[in-house]
Amino acid sequence: MLDFVYDGSFNGLLTAIYEIYYRRQVPQQLLSSPGQTPKLFVREERIITDETKAGKVYEAIDTKISSRSLRHIYYAYLSEHMEAGIWIYHYLHLGWKLGNKLDLLLSDERVHRIHRLSQKVSMERHRLLGLLRFQLLRGNIYYAALEPDHNVVELLAPHFAARMAGQNWVIHDVSRDLAAVFNRKEWVATDFTLQHRLELLKEEEYYQQLWQEYYNSMAISSRINPRLQKRCMPQRYWKHLVELS
Amino acid sequence: MEILKKLKILADSAKYDVSCSSSGSKRTNQPGGLGNSASSGICHTWTADGRCISLLKILQSNNCVYNCSYCVNRVSNDLPRATLTPDELCELTINFYRRNYIEGLFLSTAIYSSPDHTMEMLLQTVKKLREEHNFHGYIHLKAIPGADNLLIEAAGKYVDRMSVNIELPSERGLRLLAPQKKREAIIKPMTFLTSNIAARKAERRKSRKAPSFVPAGQTTQLIVGATPDPDLQILKLSENMYKRFGLKRVYYSAYVPVSHHPHLPDISSPPLLREHRIYQADWLLRFYGFQADELLNEKNPNFTEDYDPKTDWALRNLDYFPVEINRADYEKLLRVPGIGVKSARKILTARRMHSLDFDDLKRIGITMKRAQYFITCKGKYSGQTAMEEHLLRPRLTLSPPKTAGPEQPSLFSFSSDVIAPEDAFSSVTGEI
Repeated sequence: MLDFVYDGSFNGLLTAIYEIYYRRQVPQQLLSSPGQTPKLFVREERIITDETKAGKVYEAIDTKISSRSLRHIYYAYLSEHMEAGIWIYHYLHLGWKLGNKLDLLLSDERVHRIHRLSQKVSMERHRLLGLLRFQLLRGNIYYAALEPDHNVVELLAPHFAARMAGQNWVIHDVSRDLAAVFNRKEWVATDFTLQHRLELLKEEEYYQQLWQEYYNSMAISSRINPRLQKRCMPQRYWKHLVELS
Repeated sequence: MEILKKLKILADSAKYDVSCSSSGSKRTNQPGGLGNSASSGICHTWTADGRCISLLKILQSNNCVYNCSYCVNRVSNDLPRATLTPDELCELTINFYRRNYIEGLFLSTAIYSSPDHTMEMLLQTVKKLREEHNFHGYIHLKAIPGADNLLIEAAGKYVDRMSVNIELPSERGLRLLAPQKKREAIIKPMTFLTSNIAARKAERRKSRKAPSFVPAGQTTQLIVGATPDPDLQILKLSENMYKRFGLKRVYYSAYVPVSHHPHLPDISSPPLLREHRIYQADWLLRFYGFQADELLNEKNPNFTEDYDPKTDWALRNLDYFPVEINRADYEKLLRVPGIGVKSARKILTARRMHSLDFDDLKRIGITMKRAQYFITCKGKYSGQTAMEEHLLRPRLTLSPPKTAGPEQPSLFSFSSDVIAPEDAFSSVTGEI
């Protein structure tokens, strides 16, 4: 049996898919990093990312299937699900036959599971558009930390680049050591770790206190319903919320 | 008084207004400005009662000259009072917005002097936000009944949404509980807004440069359970509001007992289940093509506890069913209990490829719990019982209401735990 291992980038994944057709070998898995434990009967083959090959696959999806499918694939890739890679391959394999009708075949498992992953990522992005919290740091930088289930930082950045266009900001995915950094002109995605502890300005502490006070006064005591609250706002997001820490 | 204290007092007074949405407007940011609005609306957090916070919902002042007995801010209530200046409000809004706490501002106020003066203060605040602070986030503003139309029109240029709260569903209720308010005074600004929004929309169709006027439309709020008005009357009123006034939303607020008054019902907790049923029915009016008359009538003027309004309707109209999944049109699919807007769309999409059987339905994510009794797939029925009302009723009841506790709950006094979180959630998303 055979696994392909690519470098974790989207281009890497597309290159791997190119190689499947080129070598006429369908692997068991398409992995974004080598398996943790050596497996007895599985051979791992490394795929070297190649921009030209990836570009060809990208183009083919866009023209032969649809831009909507391309978006589903990108979102499914960002889900970082263990099997996302090979699922994307099976989805595409069906897509070459069905063309732009691919996304209508909802009852097919190969389509359904990609839609489900894409939906999860898109849902988390939407949630975090609201749940992200910036803190004003010395040097006039607004800093936000988050630990999302999926790799959504790049999906959040354009929203805040348009909205907070006059602020310097950093959106930092603490669990992946990634960040989107904005300098009031453009944003870039980059590797990122905090060098030292955050220093909050007096002004920042003041507004955090105001927000906490406001948040607490808004609940109507005769309607308290923590189960509903947790359903709408899962507890794993609470850690980075000013009003709940 | 320091800001922290004012904020607490004025937030406390504003929280009974249930409108929270920040949707329906596509304002873009300007060079050097702050903010824009997402047309889908974004929730920023949820309070311990499970309601979302999207906008900074606050009163400019809670000093009120009126004495409406259902309201916390009535003049005879012994309550700390505060007023925020336009500048203080701007600072709060801008700084909360920069930290992504909020989507914008929802500004309301008590009537602290003449309606004109009060409206002028609101106008000054939103004007400052837009012009001095270059703020382009969402603004929802209350229109003050009795204020000059010119003031309301001026404010409408700056904001995304405006609302006038009707609060009490009947003239009689108004006379009893808010004798200083007149129904005509409430309806007048609504009519004015409706015609201006329509006129400005027509202009905008001709030229994109025409200034916008309340682009996210107007809304209102009704209190449920403060007066003896039945659900039928409330629903009829809402239907009217949607059809005649083109309202975007009618919000319903279960009456929270905030005072004792001979004209007010003596209840210990808000009628949440009733509020929930009315929300479900409201969705049926707006998205499912139902009429108020179909759901309720003079003989049955109130919703039952045991069935949601759609299931209740279906049980009374079994000759409409079964619906064939592979042939029924969108409107017909929407009438099936358990099939909502999303599911109906999925069915339409999936059956373009091939005809669907029950397994296909499960695979595309349709829940069959209620739907199975009302549909056929390729002519097959899977309800496992004859389609007769007395056989279906027991199979479709929701979990029986809990009757334990020191007091026997009456129809309108359910404690919050009777509503399953799924149900309470659907009053936000509206899927039935």
